[in-house]
Amino acid sequence: MSIVIARVLPELLSINGSLGNADILAATLTRMGHAVTVTDVSSVSDVATPPDAVCVGSGSTSTLQPALTALVPLATALQGWASNGAVFFAVGTGWDVLGNDITVNDDQALPGIGIFPSSADHPTGRFAGEVAGVDYKGRETAGYINQVGISTLHDGQPLVTITRHAKPLASDEGIVHGPLFGTKLGGPALSLNPHLRDDVIDAVLARRGLGSVAECQAPGFREFHGRVDQLAATAREKIRQRLR
Amino acid sequence: MFFRMLLAKLARFATRLRGGGSAFPGLVLLKLQPQVLEKTLGSLPGGVVFVTGSNGKSTTTAMLAQLLRHHGVQVFTNPAGGNLPQGLASAVVASATLAGRVKADIAVLEVDEAYGPHISELLRPDWVVVTNIQLDQLNRFGEPEHVFDLVYTLASRAKKGVVVNSGDPNLAVLGGRTHATGLHTHSVAMSETATSRQAHGLVSAPLIFDDEVTAGGSPVATLVDCVGTIASVEVSGNVIDVAIPVPGLHYGVDAALAIGVASVLRDGALDHAAITKAFAAGQPVYGRGEVISYRGRDLAITMQKNLPSLQVNLAAMTEPAERVWVAVDEGTPDPSWIFDADVSILDHVDVVTGTKAHQWALLLEYRGIPYGKIIEDTQEALDHITSLPHNNTPIRAIVNYEQMMLVRRLAGYKDLEGAA
Repeated sequence: MSIVIARVLPELLSINGSLGNADILAATLTRMGHAVTVTDVSSVSDVATPPDAVCVGSGSTSTLQPALTALVPLATALQGWASNGAVFFAVGTGWDVLGNDITVNDDQALPGIGIFPSSADHPTGRFAGEVAGVDYKGRETAGYINQVGISTLHDGQPLVTITRHAKPLASDEGIVHGPLFGTKLGGPALSLNPHLRDDVIDAVLARRGLGSVAECQAPGFREFHGRVDQLAATAREKIRQRLR
Repeated sequence: MFFRMLLAKLARFATRLRGGGSAFPGLVLLKLQPQVLEKTLGSLPGGVVFVTGSNGKSTTTAMLAQLLRHHGVQVFTNPAGGNLPQGLASAVVASATLAGRVKADIAVLEVDEAYGPHISELLRPDWVVVTNIQLDQLNRFGEPEHVFDLVYTLASRAKKGVVVNSGDPNLAVLGGRTHATGLHTHSVAMSETATSRQAHGLVSAPLIFDDEVTAGGSPVATLVDCVGTIASVEVSGNVIDVAIPVPGLHYGVDAALAIGVASVLRDGALDHAAITKAFAAGQPVYGRGEVISYRGRDLAITMQKNLPSLQVNLAAMTEPAERVWVAVDEGTPDPSWIFDADVSILDHVDVVTGTKAHQWALLLEYRGIPYGKIIEDTQEALDHITSLPHNNTPIRAIVNYEQMMLVRRLAGYKDLEGAA
């Protein structure tokens, strides 16, 4: 049976390569020999098939309210998927709207979908720049953050502890809480950080009893895995060098 | 003015002795005389036209200048890319007399969208022309909403009016807002036939507005169709076929805008034969679809300034290229957006270059597009790609802005963009 990856509200939440994470998961799983189906979820008519993984991209400021509105009729289905152990990978605004609440304009609190145990605050000001640090398992992690707001975690742990950045920035970034992954690392964070990609895939495979990335011996997969790991390691090293 | 201009001209002489040009003379002049743009250009009889937007500024400006010149108008303009205050001032240094007189009927100036509001404080435009609002590099602009605000601020400072590409829904709204303030607002429309010629259409930024009011009224020009290097533009009830420098819907849009603006500036008095001649004489603007030569090999420059730039340039390719070179460096601080691009026209890439080469190679890996070598150094990569066996078709060089500049320089093209 095909592994299903759902992309939620791709017409609103997909800025700056952030839905590339779904492509990366699909391409990797395909290389591992799994059949993969990627579906777009924009309305209740799209929620018939419960997914194994849910990817949500980021959006610009003007998409925040429309995204929240569009999520209301989908909330029950999304919460059901989360309860059934589906793996979520959400970026930027996509993470914010799936959290408990979002504070905008200093005082206006908008309710989120309540899947991630986190709250977002969108004050004025923006951080844009490369960052590097270690993830929740101590592995070198890097990327580019272009995001307004700060997040407060009510459960789980930060996905990344940022140790290098060009401008002032909180050291804790993102969230990991069981199969829920949220991050402000912009764009295709899983491309630069294939160890996180493998964590997401392992969580997907575990709920299906399909082994793990480390166990996969599909023809050509280990070579592919090694190549992208090396490319990503080099790209991350360049980011670290730029932040010295 | 005399001594300040003299000093700036001496600075220009010195920088040109060094080779090429630079924005330095303009910086000198602006420092010495901050109001120099208004003093030299503000009283031209035909006024001042600013051309701004996310992409297409340079080409639209060049086309409009060419079009007006073919109607006997003496045009002052800035070199492609010299669209910051110092670039504009450098163009003044190059053209003005020591007394600060610029011999021209009109100024047609490409203006950077981020600096537009600031530049309008140095020189108030009569007309503002907006090409599009597309997703640019977020690290520079934050969000497209911010770009919209910047462009609207500039447009609202026009003394006479604005001309917008109403094929971009963001600009239809912007035009509606300027119209509502009483500003003359003209639109240039894009037909469905034309926009459907490319899979990704006009790739406007996906902005969401509370108001849906648009300018309305008849467009001053319409891009009827765009096939190969011919754009068919309707103006004053006639359809004219004009030559665009290289295939691509975006160049057709630029041509329609230029014709529409020229029609507005000349109250509809356009000579069709002159229009055709003007476009036939047009050349690709510096680095935009330009073909340059290195050691006997041609390289077709394909820009990837941002996602829309890459997408429309790839969409203009009709078949995979024999040799493909991708080069991206620090000029693109965050190349994440490449994961949004449809790169399926590329059946392979021969060389990936620059400090962001590994991020591009990751995209190719995940898309299953084979690639040859990663050679970070541009000179080394240029030598390698031009030494590969070939069938005499140009190498497709998909480069960001900074790599375009570097490749041109390495190939011996000494003229610097934005230098006057």
